[in-house]
Amino acid sequence: MQLKRKASTSIGASLAAATAGLLGQSPGRAIAQELAPWEYDTAILLYSESDNRVRDVSLNLDARKEVREEAFLNLKLAIDTLTGASPSGAAPANTVQTFTTPSGGSTFDIAAGEQVLDPSFLDTRTALAANYDFPLGRFTRFDLGLSLSDEYDYSHSGVNMKLDRDFDNRNTTFTFGLALANDSIDPVGGAPIGLAPMTATGGNKQGDQSKDVTDILLGVTQVLNRHSLVQFNVSLSESDGYQTDPYKILSVVDPVTGNPVIAPPLNGLPYLYRYENRPDTRDKQSIYGLYKRDIGGNVFDVSYRYMTDDWDVDSHTIDLHYRWNLESGSYLQPHLRFYSQTAAGFYHSVLFNGTPLPDFASADYRLSEFDGLTLGIKFGRETRRGEMSGRLEIYQQTGSASPGSQVGSLQSFDLNPGLEAIIAQFSYKFGG
Amino acid sequence: MASPCEVHLGGIGRREAEGILEIVHAEAMRIETKFSRYREGNVVDCINRSDGYHITVDDETARLLDYASSLWTLSEGRFDITSGVLRRAWTFDGSDNLPDSDKVERLLGRVGWQRVDWQRPTLCMQPGMEIDFGGIGKEYAVDRAAELVRGEVESCLINFGGDLLALGPPPAVEHGSTGWTVGIESLAGGTAVKRISLTEGALATSGDARRFVLRGGHRYGHILDARTGWPVDNAPRSVTVLASTCTQAGMLSTLAMLMGAEAESFLEAQGARYWCLR
Repeated sequence: MQLKRKASTSIGASLAAATAGLLGQSPGRAIAQELAPWEYDTAILLYSESDNRVRDVSLNLDARKEVREEAFLNLKLAIDTLTGASPSGAAPANTVQTFTTPSGGSTFDIAAGEQVLDPSFLDTRTALAANYDFPLGRFTRFDLGLSLSDEYDYSHSGVNMKLDRDFDNRNTTFTFGLALANDSIDPVGGAPIGLAPMTATGGNKQGDQSKDVTDILLGVTQVLNRHSLVQFNVSLSESDGYQTDPYKILSVVDPVTGNPVIAPPLNGLPYLYRYENRPDTRDKQSIYGLYKRDIGGNVFDVSYRYMTDDWDVDSHTIDLHYRWNLESGSYLQPHLRFYSQTAAGFYHSVLFNGTPLPDFASADYRLSEFDGLTLGIKFGRETRRGEMSGRLEIYQQTGSASPGSQVGSLQSFDLNPGLEAIIAQFSYKFGG
Repeated sequence: MASPCEVHLGGIGRREAEGILEIVHAEAMRIETKFSRYREGNVVDCINRSDGYHITVDDETARLLDYASSLWTLSEGRFDITSGVLRRAWTFDGSDNLPDSDKVERLLGRVGWQRVDWQRPTLCMQPGMEIDFGGIGKEYAVDRAAELVRGEVESCLINFGGDLLALGPPPAVEHGSTGWTVGIESLAGGTAVKRISLTEGALATSGDARRFVLRGGHRYGHILDARTGWPVDNAPRSVTVLASTCTQAGMLSTLAMLMGAEAESFLEAQGARYWCLR
């Protein structure tokens, strides 16, 4: 009992005074926090396109643990639920148009003058990734990973590795990355035969498909001074196999009137549409540069990416962030992004009747010439156990139809109307 | 310091870093040379050989003696810089060798700050008594070295054998943490059971993870209560304390060990941030 009473006596103040006397200084601050065995980063993200087009609700969970000194295990789980309607590639017309659903089980009508959206779009995607990031000696880090994802008609499996090597007192870091993936595509109703006519019963289709993707990255990060750094990357990507979107079609129109062409009677549909067809390889090269600078405790970064591929798509991306640190561990981060790309060589808003069929053709707006602008703001706040943040962004895309496609009645329609989307995200990082 | 010492620096060039390392190294060596009980001819050696004569000490030694005196009072005699002679009875090597209680009793006759006549700047100690600053010196050296380089560098961690102090956070915020990541070693050694992100201030650890006597299933840790000459019962295996100075952190962890089963409630009462392993 005596000991207990004594034990609870506070001698801290007397001890602090004695220590200050010894060291001849008044006590400063002590700031430390216990790191939890696991660090979690969770997020819910909503991506919503205007006019009831694609809506993606995405749940993300990242977990990270230091399993031995300086070696980290990262696990990621992402679940995406996609709903809404997506443009099928067919052009609007002055008349009611009838299309077949991907399964071939039914047809649906699109009113005259309306953009052609495929309404039966619903999918859930689950993705898992695991990475182990560990040191190899004092100046090298190695990261090995596996990735898997699965959705109704698509599955992915991949392996990746990354090597970082520091030089020059860690002011220079060279990075080499390699990723190999195998994707298999098992489209609803089968993969269509390229450029074959769409039929009312979902004919002209065959079995599942696959592709292999190899990505290689070479990069260097250079610390310029205590306030800034630059990074340069060169990446190569080679995709071999099925690249076509099995749900995308093209309208076949009269080259003078622009009106849809009547389908052969056996098709079962009033007008003629053809499934798109893309080359079975795609090679991309890109260069990337980043400049990051500390400005009085706030952080500014700007990056530029140039990508070119053998489909004739060239793109430029400029991305800017400014992290403005407010008092008490909060920050505001505006974000601005410009994106611009040229159209793929085989992008056609429509196919003309009577003209020999090209080898490849797609009316997918993602392969068109378009510009995208993203404007966003993020607000983050430290919490006792981590950080929470909210992000709101708007995205606007404006596209162009393929040259010479707006003939006759098509002149009154926008063959590449672009889109607007809103992105809202809430994240919570914490240890546990 | 009889243990690995390291300094982590960031945000400065090689030449500046080497200058700071030199300052820290020189200060560590100075304190080691001046206060180690294993070195002949230094002030501790002179005091221990004084054979009952009065010794007048310099200001720094006087401040350390004042501090030791305060600790003796605050700990109600549990902490005592004259208790080093008890090591002649105890060998903490993981064996089951307990000392003969008569021997401990005899040695206790040469222990006790109350027997020392300390009138700053003069000390007079009975023949056969010894002092040592082993329980204070390492943490004191960390604080002294830090004081010499404070203001010279924004990112600095000084680590003398696990007692450490941070002057500002590391240069690059890595892996989502804002401070220097410090691991508390598990009782078995090797792996970190807790990880602490230290931005500013000091962490010091007292423990007996590998120094103990095991007899009849009872574990006798190497922390001796100067009043009894015997190890403190039910002391934690390791206590790590956060404080603004390494000396303060070290003394809180040492005093907590001396409180035995009451270590945690003692630290709670001091309002200290601490991590105990039992």
